[in-house]
Amino acid sequence: MKGVLLDEVSVGFDGVAALSDVTLQIEAGEQLAVIGASGAGKSTLFRALTRSVALAGGRVVVGGHDLYSLPRRSLGELRRRIGTIYQAYNLVPQLSAGVNVSLGEVGEMGRLGTLRAFFAGPDAGLSRRAGAALEEIGLGDKAGVRTADLSGGQQQRVAVARLLVQRPDLILADEPFAAVDPVTTERVLETLLHLNREGATLLANLHDVEVARRFPRVVALREGRVAFDGPPERLTEEELARIYAGDPHGTENGEGPGPPSARPELEGSFRLAEGRDGVSSH
Amino acid sequence: MASPRTERPAFGGVVPRFSWGSSLAVLAILGLTGYSVAGTGFNIVELLRGGGAAERFVSEMFPPDLSAATLRAMGAGILETFQMSFLGALLGAAVAFPLSALGTREISTVGASRGERLLLAVPYHLSRMLLNVFRSVPDILWALVFVVALGLGPFPGTLALAVHSAGVLGKLYSEALEAVPSRPVQALTATGASGFQAFLFGRLPQAMNGFASLTLYQWECNIRSATILGFVGAGGIGQQILISMNLFDYPKVATLVGATIVVVLLVDRFSAAQPREVPEEELGDHEEERRAAPDEVRVAPA
Repeated sequence: MKGVLLDEVSVGFDGVAALSDVTLQIEAGEQLAVIGASGAGKSTLFRALTRSVALAGGRVVVGGHDLYSLPRRSLGELRRRIGTIYQAYNLVPQLSAGVNVSLGEVGEMGRLGTLRAFFAGPDAGLSRRAGAALEEIGLGDKAGVRTADLSGGQQQRVAVARLLVQRPDLILADEPFAAVDPVTTERVLETLLHLNREGATLLANLHDVEVARRFPRVVALREGRVAFDGPPERLTEEELARIYAGDPHGTENGEGPGPPSARPELEGSFRLAEGRDGVSSH
Repeated sequence: MASPRTERPAFGGVVPRFSWGSSLAVLAILGLTGYSVAGTGFNIVELLRGGGAAERFVSEMFPPDLSAATLRAMGAGILETFQMSFLGALLGAAVAFPLSALGTREISTVGASRGERLLLAVPYHLSRMLLNVFRSVPDILWALVFVVALGLGPFPGTLALAVHSAGVLGKLYSEALEAVPSRPVQALTATGASGFQAFLFGRLPQAMNGFASLTLYQWECNIRSATILGFVGAGGIGQQILISMNLFDYPKVATLVGATIVVVLLVDRFSAAQPREVPEEELGDHEEERRAAPDEVRVAPA
């Protein structure tokens, strides 16, 4: 995959601009953290990268293809190389952990294989790849457990295992740590970085500036525009204050006004926000 | 300790304040009431005066006919009703499922070309239309149609129940399918699953639990409906009631009607004892639905 290019991308919801003329060039294999107050357009940016939201203007190029003008079939082929992981896990809660992990491979299945997998009973077992992925994230014994019965942190690990099975070239992590405990955060981050070392481009949407500082490149969005793009060393307190200034929805993500790291009691730690922000572990 | 009460608690606001809107609504209801009373010849006095005829009819029903032949006919009628309702629900479900799958909106057509979108819209609207026709025509009318086409008996009645059930279940199934939290489904399509795969592994598993109870409920409705389909000659216990009525055999009518009431009560009992599944997940997910909504309703610039 040849990296990602956003070219003056604009997105609006009912006349309200979520992204305005965002231009970003991301090289293949790069590690990039996206920060910004809630409502700054971070998630919208990620949705534009899978063609899950309509563009009001501009162009999104992923792997050398103009994403929004691809015919359906090629769109599916391209999306197969994009892996996602979300704050709300977005697994199918009624299916077992093993099946959710295996769904990382579903794009490679033909029609017949799909039907066979659908009608196979619960004893059908997992592919070697799915089994190994579950082992790797430490849930090898949970393959048969209904995903809804797992804890939030475990569910996020299942979502990571799905990525391991999919082996995407581009990983979009949308607030992956917002609803999980510190231990899971480290574990998930490690796996994401591992996939990145193996060649995947990693874009992570983060509400925690301290985590974002561990990325070589940080992009900040403010009111739908790129407000900062550079190495974390240049991310000074003034810069952060500017990025998070006048955040009207600041408390929505469990963030106070101003940059999250500016609150001493939370510095360097991660909040347990499970059950907030519309996320439920079931 | 709480301080002694010096004042009675008082509040208001449950009933809305007088407004032109609410008084207009009251006027409209009063007007419609008068119009309907006049139109239907509704007359309480006549109901009371007619008591004599009703009394005669009821008294002629007693004692109910409990002869072996009547009981046999009753048993046969109930069994036939049961068989009709079961087959009707099963066939209905079999037809409803594929139609509801087609009648479930594709998650996202963002960036799709006009032709692609049209291609997706055609099966959706076709199946929706078909289900609407099946459902909005009452089963007794379907029975009438099938009796005329196929002759008297339980077979046309079963077909009538099947068609109507297909319409009702199809609507209920596709509502269940569309009400499912959409984010897991979107997560699948965003990473390359086809629409068919996203349906099978994302949408269907989330809705499937409800299908069984919806189908059982439809069967229950079918039992009730099947008891009266006989009035147009479509088999079941209703047909026996009709025949006995026409022969002025009121004691037999009493037995058959009594049996029908018992069956319907039993079905109700069974249904009440049945745990209706409303999974917690479904209750908690409105938030997600709302958050996922904005770009779903949006139409991409062509």
